[in-house]
Amino acid sequence: METIIQTADLVKRYRGRAAVDHLNLSIGKGDIYGFLGPNGAGKTTTIRMLLGLIAPSGGQVEIFGKDLRKERLDILRRVGSLVESPSYYGHLSAVDNLEAIRRILGAPKRRIAEVLDIVSLTGEEKRPVKGFSLGMKQRLGIAAALLGSPELLILDEPTNGLDPSGIQEIRSLIMSLPREHGITVLVSSHLLSEIEQMAGTVGIIRQGRMIYQDTIARLRERSAGEMRLVVSEPEAALEEAFRRGYDGMLRTDELRFSGMDDARVALLVKALVERGHAIYRVEEQRQSLEELFLQVVEGEGR
Amino acid sequence: MKMFLRILSAERLKLSGSYIWLLVLASPAAAVLIGLYASSPAGGKPDWTILLSVMSTLHALLFLPVLSGLYTAMLCRHEHLDGGWKALLALPVSRTAVYLAKFTMAAVLLAATQALFIAAVIGTGLIRGIGTPVPWGLFLGTCAASWTACLPLAALQLAVSQAWSSFAAPLALNVSFTLPNVLIANSATYGPYYPWVQPMLAMIPHGQADYGAFNLPLESLLIVVLGSFALFLAAGLLSFRRKAV
Repeated sequence: METIIQTADLVKRYRGRAAVDHLNLSIGKGDIYGFLGPNGAGKTTTIRMLLGLIAPSGGQVEIFGKDLRKERLDILRRVGSLVESPSYYGHLSAVDNLEAIRRILGAPKRRIAEVLDIVSLTGEEKRPVKGFSLGMKQRLGIAAALLGSPELLILDEPTNGLDPSGIQEIRSLIMSLPREHGITVLVSSHLLSEIEQMAGTVGIIRQGRMIYQDTIARLRERSAGEMRLVVSEPEAALEEAFRRGYDGMLRTDELRFSGMDDARVALLVKALVERGHAIYRVEEQRQSLEELFLQVVEGEGR
Repeated sequence: MKMFLRILSAERLKLSGSYIWLLVLASPAAAVLIGLYASSPAGGKPDWTILLSVMSTLHALLFLPVLSGLYTAMLCRHEHLDGGWKALLALPVSRTAVYLAKFTMAAVLLAATQALFIAAVIGTGLIRGIGTPVPWGLFLGTCAASWTACLPLAALQLAVSQAWSSFAAPLALNVSFTLPNVLIANSATYGPYYPWVQPMLAMIPHGQADYGAFNLPLESLLIVVLGSFALFLAAGLLSFRRKAV
């Protein structure tokens, strides 16, 4: 897969403290990349470096295979962004706010109607933006980011401060972008639950360091549940399981097995029943992704 | 150049429907009041030169320097709110072009103020019944010179306004530099070198006053004005190019 963003040992130091510490970010074309981490982990600092808003203290940024230092304008022409809160001129209407950006980008006039349609703001475009709700302002910010028909969209906490329906709207909007427009998306958040339904890949950052970067499917596997069996004679049952090559353990009189697919569960249950064990309960205990995320964020790197 | 014009056109749009245009009206309006109620010299009607001196005193001594700072502060204000600098500078623009476009807008607003001021002087003169033809050369010359003398102030204030996210702090700085004008304008020693008083000195019709710093050769004014302009603009531009947003 073609790589769109690649950073190599990216570092940003503020007064000797590393806000971003040797970060290696890799984002493939057409992906939705969820950039995760608690507040203050260095997400926004990283994004500001990706957009050339602050200079890195060390390391490199390559976007579309070009060096950001040397070809910043060429890169930015193909990038749309929304960093932190959406910026707008309150006394101007949505159309005029977009028109100001359109004039700078030199995009065709019809693009304004198109992006308003994409973010479902058609019908509100003549009103001054100061009367917009936060969700509408956020959508206007995304419309502005889309104005230049970008190939890469960088959204910093686009769902911050929105209510659940607003979050859902933004989420389905973001999910439609790679599908319908072939756009690669980098979206940051401090909540895994906001990202997991749309992201293909996640990068988890903590204290400026990347501590996990892989597909969301791989993350799900890591959180795959444990099988819990409650039986009449646990010790004997565990011995039987070991004999059959199952890797389990006994905890508080319950048998626990990890990494079990359906067939293996069925075989084990059948074997135990044939040996005369009474089986009271077979349950799957699934660790939520959120728990795993917290475990990763708090646990590793200590 | 093309990029600069595009940014300029966007900046112009951003100001449409903003209160900034009311500010452009303020100083000429105040000058009209002064012009209407100024007493006529003994034995007749005021002539154009006297009217210009009377009306330009407050305008050039206080309003022009203060407006130079107020316009630049307002041009940066929206960018300081809600991460506007980030949104603007993440677009494919060079920072130099953005900075020069902001400065050009400030210069245009000052020029609009001067144009309205000339209109105010002429209107007042007609109301008071000055019969002689309008001395266009004098009016355009003094107003253009005084506008030029505002540019260094606008350059410094833009440098300060882009650096400080506060709206009030650059204004306070500007006003505290402007108020001493009242004294410095009368000083032959300091007047020629104090940038904030130059708009006033440039607007006094030559030969009108022969005390203080009022009757200096044009060359010395130009050196002070152009020198401080180059210094302030370069400093602001360098700082803006390196600004972390």
